[in-house]
Amino acid sequence: MKKTFLLIAAALAVSAVIVVTAGATSSATPGVTAKSILLEGTFPLSGPASGYAPIPVGMAAYFSYVNAHGGVNGRKIDFRYEDDGYNPANTVQITHKFVEQDHAFALVGGLGTEPQQAVRDYLNQNKVPQLFVSTGATTFDRDFTTNPWTLGWQPDYEAEGSIYGKYIAKNFPTAKLGILFQDDDYGNDYLRGLKAGLTQQHLPQIIDAEGYALSGNPPATQVAKLKASGADIFLIFATPTPTIQAYVISTKLGWHPAHIFTNSVSATDAFLTIAKKSGSDNTDGTITVNYLLDPANPLYNKTPGMKAYRAIMAKYAPKANANDGLNIYGVAKAWTTVQVLTAAGKNLTRAGLMKAARNMNFTVKAKKANPYTLPGVDVRTKGNYQFPIAQVQLVQYQNNTFKPISKLINGRGA
Amino acid sequence: MRRVTALVSFGVLVTAVVLAPTFFTHYRLFQLALVAVYLVALLGLDILTGFTGQISLGHGAFMGVGAYTTTILVVDHGWNDLLTIPVAGVVAGLFGLAFGLPATRFAGPYLALATFAIPLSFIGLLKRFPHFTGGGIGKNLPQLHSELGLHMNPSVWFYAVCWMIALVMLPLAFGIVRGRFGRALRAVRDSEIASTANGVSTATIKSAAFGISAFYCGVAGGLYAIGITYVNPDTFPIDLSILLLTGIVLGGAGSLYGMVFGALFVEFIRISWGPTILNGISRVHHLDTHAPGSGLVVYGLILLVVLYLAPAGAAGVVRRLMTGRSTVAGWSKPRSTTPSDPATGVEAP
Repeated sequence: MKKTFLLIAAALAVSAVIVVTAGATSSATPGVTAKSILLEGTFPLSGPASGYAPIPVGMAAYFSYVNAHGGVNGRKIDFRYEDDGYNPANTVQITHKFVEQDHAFALVGGLGTEPQQAVRDYLNQNKVPQLFVSTGATTFDRDFTTNPWTLGWQPDYEAEGSIYGKYIAKNFPTAKLGILFQDDDYGNDYLRGLKAGLTQQHLPQIIDAEGYALSGNPPATQVAKLKASGADIFLIFATPTPTIQAYVISTKLGWHPAHIFTNSVSATDAFLTIAKKSGSDNTDGTITVNYLLDPANPLYNKTPGMKAYRAIMAKYAPKANANDGLNIYGVAKAWTTVQVLTAAGKNLTRAGLMKAARNMNFTVKAKKANPYTLPGVDVRTKGNYQFPIAQVQLVQYQNNTFKPISKLINGRGA
Repeated sequence: MRRVTALVSFGVLVTAVVLAPTFFTHYRLFQLALVAVYLVALLGLDILTGFTGQISLGHGAFMGVGAYTTTILVVDHGWNDLLTIPVAGVVAGLFGLAFGLPATRFAGPYLALATFAIPLSFIGLLKRFPHFTGGGIGKNLPQLHSELGLHMNPSVWFYAVCWMIALVMLPLAFGIVRGRFGRALRAVRDSEIASTANGVSTATIKSAAFGISAFYCGVAGGLYAIGITYVNPDTFPIDLSILLLTGIVLGGAGSLYGMVFGALFVEFIRISWGPTILNGISRVHHLDTHAPGSGLVVYGLILLVVLYLAPAGAAGVVRRLMTGRSTVAGWSKPRSTTPSDPATGVEAP
């Protein structure tokens, strides 16, 4: 034991020497040279959320296309992305690497509410743009004063919830609503939005709202209570797995509500097909929202955006499944990124990029609408309004495709 | 002679730790700090698995207990983060002890299965009490910053803190596995019947080993939370526990210095080596290495190759390089009375 204490004492003494070492900081605009701009992002390429892996593939394809046509203000975009497996601990380490080792100019498209929340303070402290995160958590748009270097892109969950509220108030003003929601920030974002959309007048339409904790138990009791409440519209504000379970449980209980609304994150063809194969006959007729051109639906094949999208994917990502809507999500996001970089000008700085991102006006009116979103969707930010995309269209699931059932609706009422 | 080798090895490690900041970038130092964190966790697990022969598939959760202890004390109670480290260790140690008491009724694979329940229930509990733990959305800690009135780069500061603690925990582990207690640990590993016949209470020894190993993991977890600056259930997935076990196998179960190599592996395979190897493969074969799950393939391949070429792990390789013999202090596997190591199932060379 004496030896041990000697060793400990020696260790303490010697490692105190490390403290003497200090660090230096680098200069200029990181990640920008005369010929290139370095953009990086973390995505779950492996693990339980790896279904989202096509997003950076779509982004990379669009950047390659832009580079082949001269780049942005004479600079080529160098887009690199790494796998964080949806583990925030990995996201943090890779983000440190992007900033301190690679000296990325900006981080673009980073995926996931929790992983992006884990690095938000770090990026804001280091004044590195955290642009167009791939999550609809309202905080990434709403809390821009405390996080001036962070911005979302897609419609936020609150806005989406309010659209369901508005639609129901208008079209089913006497229906009884039963809601299943995940009892955390995610589900409550939707619930808050729904109530705002219904307005005070229609709030009593909600006859039951059942929260569930994401603790692994399928929401069986909650769905049973909702059935017993006599609701005839079933709203599911849940992540994919509990959503699929809710479809299967409601079918097994013999509950066939007149309408089912499911939040867009979980209402994809892939997830609804799983629910169907797991024994649910409630999936057809599901109502959700969309704001992008849908490559799985032939309806959009003749739009210029879809034609350009297919050409880009064929040339720059030939192995990818271009019918997967997540690719066009990536392409549409990369388009916005290129527009913002262009607007930031030849003399590129991080502050300049954020200024451009905070003043986006890629609208139909300005004749600069994003070609990969639904016709009429604006990407717009200004002053205290920092919700880039807020318009969506309600769509209904029939025979493995989503058919539009409404005009564009603005979830932020602007 | 053995003592001298052990001291020289320690000296080499300390010198490397002190010199590293002059050679590496801040990001690399941040990674090397996490190597120290994993080293502490692996030392703990090695005491349990390498020295006492009890396999655990759940020690990532004890890191989680330590991490949440630190987080809750810092974020909700305004503690200084460094002061939370011993508390994180003790809380995790108590959890380990509590688990160890009933778990000592199991042996071998049955124990491994029982320990598998730890991370599963840990994640469930985190989500069950969101007001206390932050639920699925987790909690953010303050950003890394140097303390004690020093003005240092945060990564360098974190590196210094982690290695100072690791360089205390390493000799401490030597103290634990030596002497009467250490002999009792090894006796339990080699033959429970024989050790009981010689008056060793196997239940007490096993519980104590669980408690000590969980204490180590708790300390590591506290540091982990400080460095990552965020905790949520996804931060402590089940595969973290399995990765820790892989780390001690690759480092050489039953060797304490081997854990340095195990810790390097655990840190770098996920973030650096895996992607580099994948990029290399994609250049040579034009394979789509961004396909989901391709990282796991590389990780599995490395494990297979290492176990095939060096079944006693990195410690075994060093041992062979140094002497051609198998008994060098600190590096050697403690003498075993059975032909195979129960932790690895590998014959002692």
